[in-house]
Amino acid sequence: MSTQFGNVAFIIWRESVEALLVIGILNAWLASQREIASRGRIFLWAGVATGLLVAVGLGVIFIAFGEAISDEAQQGYQTGAVLVAAALIIQMVFWMRRHGCTLKRELETSLQDAAARSSWWTVFILALVAVAREGSETVVFLFGTLAAIQHASLAGIIVAIIVGFALALATYYVLQLGSRVLSWRVFFGVTEVMLLLLAASLLVTGVENLGALGVLPTLSGRLWDSSAILPDSGPVGGLLAALTGYRARPNLMNVLVYALYWGVIFWTLFWPRPKISMART
Amino acid sequence: MAALFANRNERLATRRLLLVGLGATAAILAAATHGRAEEDPIFRIEFKDGVVTPLRLEVPAKRRFKLELHNLGQTPAEFESRELRKEKVLAPGTSSTLVIRTLDPGEYEFFDDFHLDAPPAVLVAK
Repeated sequence: MSTQFGNVAFIIWRESVEALLVIGILNAWLASQREIASRGRIFLWAGVATGLLVAVGLGVIFIAFGEAISDEAQQGYQTGAVLVAAALIIQMVFWMRRHGCTLKRELETSLQDAAARSSWWTVFILALVAVAREGSETVVFLFGTLAAIQHASLAGIIVAIIVGFALALATYYVLQLGSRVLSWRVFFGVTEVMLLLLAASLLVTGVENLGALGVLPTLSGRLWDSSAILPDSGPVGGLLAALTGYRARPNLMNVLVYALYWGVIFWTLFWPRPKISMART
Repeated sequence: MAALFANRNERLATRRLLLVGLGATAAILAAATHGRAEEDPIFRIEFKDGVVTPLRLEVPAKRRFKLELHNLGQTPAEFESRELRKEKVLAPGTSSTLVIRTLDPGEYEFFDDFHLDAPPAVLVAK
């Protein structure tokens, strides 16, 4: 009972934490951009609300027709969702970095142009995908757990669910607090890395799914097994796996994708570029 | 940071990303393989209100096989395995099939996600 209590609370929290990271960081970021905050927030929270609706819809479909949906169709949907989420998160990092560097003068002038408008739709879709993907899992889990319990433990489970959601909310507020307490540069530096790690995790998951679907080869068996030191399931390992893409028993494809991803990110975001100047060359 | 060059660099970076994405897509398409239509062995797993049978199931390594899942209980069940990357919700009295393409020899835990107090079961690939 007590382990189940912990499990239920933890799963609720973990299912929400990825979406909360994305939403929390976007919201904190928008709050720091006074001129565009209100407009951006409309897109962000409209995305969250739409995502919740989609999550409930998907959840109901999985519950009602779960056994009838082909294994491959379900996995195909999950794969698409994680890969889209990964791509959008990376795009957001680029976008935030661009607007984090240039100052508000440029933001004001670019408010009306098409690029800015398409960025708002990215915010909307990103919030939608993050919430829908994780929310549908939570809906299915909640339904199943509640349907499966014995009457005696009903109260305990409900408390566990509430605790899980409370932890999720607390995480969100820690992010908001962080954005106020820390300097913008520090906050953005830290959350940028968190977002890039999250995108890496989603990418690794997506590629693994493609492997399970037979679209991509796995290239090798388990290259090593570090599960004795740090497993990629269970409370700590599972969270680490979800937030960074850590795998205790990776195959060559896992390792290549991870290395390639960070290679590309480093190349495009962090590689110190010589200052380009036409006049000087 | 290099604020002056942010826009130009961003455009450059976006183009690079796009290129990498296109390359990756091409590689995926090139590497795409299709499942062969041979007879796959089928293994049966039963769920009954938190009880998983069998708790230890031997399956062949390095080949395609199917898992036939049955929920014989009065409550919903969800087959879930993180390492197999599979999850499947089963309403009471229903059944479903999962296709596993290939497994390396080793142990793979799975459990009923709706009955977390029950002990996990394990697939043993040999």
